[in-house]
Amino acid sequence: MHELVICSYCDTVHERVALPVRGAARCVTCDRPLYHANADLGAMLAVTITATFAFVVANLFPLITLTTNGLQTEATLWRAIAASYVQDLPAVAVSLAVTLIVAPLFELGLLLWVLVPLCLHTRPLGFTWVMRLMHVLRPWRMIEVFLLGVVVAVVKLSGLASAVPGWGLFGVAVMTLALAAVASFDRGAMWRRADDISNLQPVEDVG
Amino acid sequence: MTRATDVGLAACATCELVVRTNGVGSCPRCGEPVRFRKRHATTRAWAFVSAAAILYIPANTLVMMRTEQFPQHREDTILSGIAYLWSEGAWSLAMLVFTASIVIPLVKLISLGVLLVTTGQHSAWHRQGRTMLYRVLEVAGHWSMLDVFVVALLTAVVQLGRFAKVEPGPAVLPFAGVVILTMLASSSFDPRAIWDRGDNE
Repeated sequence: MHELVICSYCDTVHERVALPVRGAARCVTCDRPLYHANADLGAMLAVTITATFAFVVANLFPLITLTTNGLQTEATLWRAIAASYVQDLPAVAVSLAVTLIVAPLFELGLLLWVLVPLCLHTRPLGFTWVMRLMHVLRPWRMIEVFLLGVVVAVVKLSGLASAVPGWGLFGVAVMTLALAAVASFDRGAMWRRADDISNLQPVEDVG
Repeated sequence: MTRATDVGLAACATCELVVRTNGVGSCPRCGEPVRFRKRHATTRAWAFVSAAAILYIPANTLVMMRTEQFPQHREDTILSGIAYLWSEGAWSLAMLVFTASIVIPLVKLISLGVLLVTTGQHSAWHRQGRTMLYRVLEVAGHWSMLDVFVVALLTAVVQLGRFAKVEPGPAVLPFAGVVILTMLASSSFDPRAIWDRGDNE
């Protein structure tokens, strides 16, 4: 029943209609967003690749460089996590690692895993399992909050010493924008494309 | 308006496929169980909200960050850290941190309480407004993690021997706990309950 959409906020049944470019459908009862028009998987893949490069930059380069009295220190993503661990706060280190490294890494990796084959019109290996994992991990990615955290930290440090934002911050910023762009695509398009690929062969009626 | 439950339809929570169901069984497309409502939604949401409310107290009263800047030594809670930013003239930043660290967690706890009580009574009071409130909680919830990230960054970068040093305080753990528990509470809550009518209606 591809033509039906149920609002996950109020349970109202809608018929799926074609939307204008960049449009979004809203629920008639509760006005919450239902689905986006943009179902271009190739464009989604391009944005995902951009986010992946930005993530690499965010991990390799310092976020903030601090210079005072001839001493220089750098904060990288990994050092921020390691610092909490060293300060006897392993639970904090784990939540930082999950929200800043594991969740974004898996989200990008799994998106590439799914989008590359779908764009080549083949069904990705372990498709439903990968989609389920992505669904579970998505709320725990907090790189966009971290971006704001770096800005706050730089301002807080400005009284103490000369704090300079580094290339790592640029990586985090680009990644935040790219992931926001990924979120503006219709996720259902990935399921529908996979269905279309599978339906090329005759399948048994499950009904 | 037609409600899916009334006509025996449900959308798979994972892949959004609409299937005809009696409330048991699994999705023919992705294999996940298809249900009309999230399981034990109210009980789970209440449990997470209560735990978060308890942790909210140490999160705000304990020390969040210790700063050594020779010869000064500062110990800041969330609120005194914001007051310090304000006194330094960084007003916009102070407002930002105040919103993320104090306003959002408090509004989340109160709103979730209101949503749980009103849905428990099958209230018809501002259904659309309450749905919007839930949507805001979902989107804004994780922004409270801001202060934890700031403390972690400052700890990593300010290691200048005896000149200056930053250490996280004991409030970091309960503070992160409040953020995670309120996120779990809002994901456990089923917004469709806002629109469910009681048997007496």
